[in-house]
Amino acid sequence: MTELDEKLANGFDRRRFLGASAAIGAAALASPLISACTSKSKPAKAAAASGGTAKSHYKMVWIQIQPQATSTAWGDGMQEIAANQKNIDFQVLDGQNKADTQITLMNTAITQGVDCIFLQPADSVGLAPSIKKAKAAGIPVITLNIDATEAHAAHVEMNHYFGAMDIAAKMGALIGGSGDVVILNAPPGITIRDLRTNGFVDGMKAKFPNVKIAADENAKWDRKTAGDTFTAMWAANPNIKGVYGVNDDMALGVVDVAKAKGILSKLVIFGNDGEKAALTSIEAGELTGTQYTDVWQQGRFAASAGIVLATSGTKASNMPVQGHLLMPYSILTKDNVASIPASARW
Amino acid sequence: MIVLETGLRISRQSVQSLKARRSSAAGLALFYALVLIIFSVLSPRFRTEDNYKNLLIGYSHIGILAIGMSFPILLAGIDLSVGSIIGVVGMTVFDLSLISHVSGIVAILAALTLGAALGALNGFLVVKLNLSPFIVTLAAMATWRGTTYAISGRQLYRDLSVAPITDKLLLWIDGSFGPIPRAFVYMVVIGLAAYWVLAHTKLGRDFYSVGGNERAAYLAGINVTRIKILAYAISGFCAGVVALILSSRLSTSPEDLGTGIELSAIAAAVVGGVSLLGGVGGTLGPILGAFLIGTAYIGMQLENVTTYAQPVVGGVILVGAVGYDRYRQMREQRDLVRERVRRRPVGETIHTAPGVAS
Repeated sequence: MTELDEKLANGFDRRRFLGASAAIGAAALASPLISACTSKSKPAKAAAASGGTAKSHYKMVWIQIQPQATSTAWGDGMQEIAANQKNIDFQVLDGQNKADTQITLMNTAITQGVDCIFLQPADSVGLAPSIKKAKAAGIPVITLNIDATEAHAAHVEMNHYFGAMDIAAKMGALIGGSGDVVILNAPPGITIRDLRTNGFVDGMKAKFPNVKIAADENAKWDRKTAGDTFTAMWAANPNIKGVYGVNDDMALGVVDVAKAKGILSKLVIFGNDGEKAALTSIEAGELTGTQYTDVWQQGRFAASAGIVLATSGTKASNMPVQGHLLMPYSILTKDNVASIPASARW
Repeated sequence: MIVLETGLRISRQSVQSLKARRSSAAGLALFYALVLIIFSVLSPRFRTEDNYKNLLIGYSHIGILAIGMSFPILLAGIDLSVGSIIGVVGMTVFDLSLISHVSGIVAILAALTLGAALGALNGFLVVKLNLSPFIVTLAAMATWRGTTYAISGRQLYRDLSVAPITDKLLLWIDGSFGPIPRAFVYMVVIGLAAYWVLAHTKLGRDFYSVGGNERAAYLAGINVTRIKILAYAISGFCAGVVALILSSRLSTSPEDLGTGIELSAIAAAVVGGVSLLGGVGGTLGPILGAFLIGTAYIGMQLENVTTYAQPVVGGVILVGAVGYDRYRQMREQRDLVRERVRRRPVGETIHTAPGVAS
C-alpha cells in the first residue's frame, strides 16, 4: 500500500485531496493556454510581471441551462474552489432552458466585467456569438460538457465519445452480440448529442456489427418524455433488446415503463452521467449501467482553470488555442457500482 | 335609432378607454422611471451605456410581442401560440436558408407572411367555429411546436445539427445601427404604427369598440369577424418579426425557440395596462411593461440577487399590476355610480356591479 493509499484508507480528507488534484489538473489545462498567450502577448506578460493585473477581488458567474442534478453538482464543485480563495464572488445564474435567456445573462455578465464565465450552453451554435462577445471583452469562457462552435478558453467534458463507445461494447456483449437497440437522444443543436451518439454507433460498429440501431429519437433529456417515447418504440418493435439513454433521466424513464410493462428482464438499459438515482437503480437491479463521472470534481477542475486564468491576468482575446479536458470515468454495472462511495455520489 | 344610440355609447366607451390607457401609461412610465433611478443609484454598472444597450437587446423583442399580444387582449381574447409560432417560423427560416438555400430576402418575406397567416388562422378558428381563444391558441401552441420538431432540419440532417445560418442579410437583422440595437428600432417602428392605428384611425376605434362591447359593436355595423382575424394576424406577424430577430441573434433556430415567451408577452401587456377584460389598453404600456420586467431582472442580476428569485419578482410585478388595474376599474366605476346618483331624477334606482361600493 502506498503512502497515499494509506492516507486515504485512514480517512485522509478526500475533498482536500480532490481539491488539490483539481488545482493541479487545472494548472495543466491552463498552462499551455497561458504560455501560448504570454509568448505572443508581451503587454500581458509585462503586466503580469509588474503585478499590474492583480486585483483584490474577482467575480465569476456560472450560467447553467437550468438547475438539475448535474449542473447543481458542477456549481457545488466550483463554489467549493471559489470559496477557498476568499477573494472570489461566485454567482449562479439560471438560463431557464432557453438560449436567448442565456444570451441576456451573458450580456449582463460582460457588462458586469466579470473575470470568468462558466457556461453550459443551451445551444452550441446559438451561444457562439455571445462567447465571441465575451472574448472581445477579454473575459475567458469555460464551457462544461456542451462545447460551443466558437472557440473559447477551455472546455471540460465528461468524455462523451469514448464513454459512449465503452457503453456500446458493454451493451453489445450483454445482449449477445446481435439484435435491435434504440437510442433515446438529446435535442439537436448541442455537441454532446453528436459525440455520445457517434461514440455509441461507432463502438457498436467496431465491436458488434450485427447489432442494429433500430431507432434514434429525441426525448428532450426528460424522464417522462423518454418513457412515452420508449412506449411508442416498443409498440412498433417488441424485439428491442437494448436501450441507450444519453442521460440517466431518460434511461430511468425507460426503466419506469419497462417495470410497468413487466419487460425489465428482457432489456439491457444504459444511461449516462452517473447521478445518484441511476446508481441506486443499478443496485436495485433495474438500470443495467451508466457512465459515471465525478461531476463535483469536474466543477472543481473548471473553477481551478478559471481562477488560474483570471488571477494571472490572462485575457481571452489573447488565447489562440482552446483547452480541452476530458474527465476520467467508469462504466458502472451491478458488479462494480459499490466502488463509488456515498461521498462521491451526486 | 338603436344603431345610432349604440354608436354613441361605443364612442363614449372609446373615449373613456383612451383616457384610461393614457392615465395608466403615464402612471406606469412614472413607476418605471422610479425603478430605473433606484437601480442606477444602487449599481454603478447599471447606469452604463453597455447595460442600457443590453436592456434594449434583451427586451425589445418582448416589447414587440407584447404590442402584438395587446390586440387579441384588447378584444378580451388571448394568444398562447406566439411562442410556438416563433418556433415554427424560426425553423422555416433555418430550413429555407440551409436546406433550400433561398436568399435572405425570400426567407424574411416567408417568415413574416407565415407568422401573419398562422395568427390569422387562430382568428379564423375563433370566429368561424366560435371557439374560446384560449382553447384555439392552446391547440395552436401544441400543433406548431410539434411541427417545429417535425420539420427541423437540425434533426433531419445530422450535419446541420450544429451548422449556423450564414446568410448575411439574415444575420444583419439583429445587429445595431451605431449604438442603437436594431431590435429596438423595429420595436419603435411597430409601436408607432400600432399607436397610429389605434389612436388615429377608424380601425383603431373598431378594435376598442369590439373589445368593449362586441354585441354593441356588431349592431353598430362594425365587421367584428374582420377585426378579430386581424387582431390575431397582427399578433402572429409580431411573432414572425421576433422569430427573425432571435434566429439572427442565435445564428440558428433551436426547436424550443420561443418556448414560454408567450407568458412574458402577456405579462408585459397586462403590466402595461391592457385589460384582460378587453377594450382598454394602448401600445406604450406594453412596451413599458416589457422593459419594467427586464429592468427588474437585469438590475437584480447586477445586484447579485439569485436568479431563482427573479421569476418570483416577475410574478409579484404582474399581480401588483393586475391588482392595481382592478382597483382602478372599481374606483372609476364607483365614481361613475356616484355621478349618476348625484344626477338621478327623484325615485330612480341605481344598479351597481357586485363588489362596487356606492
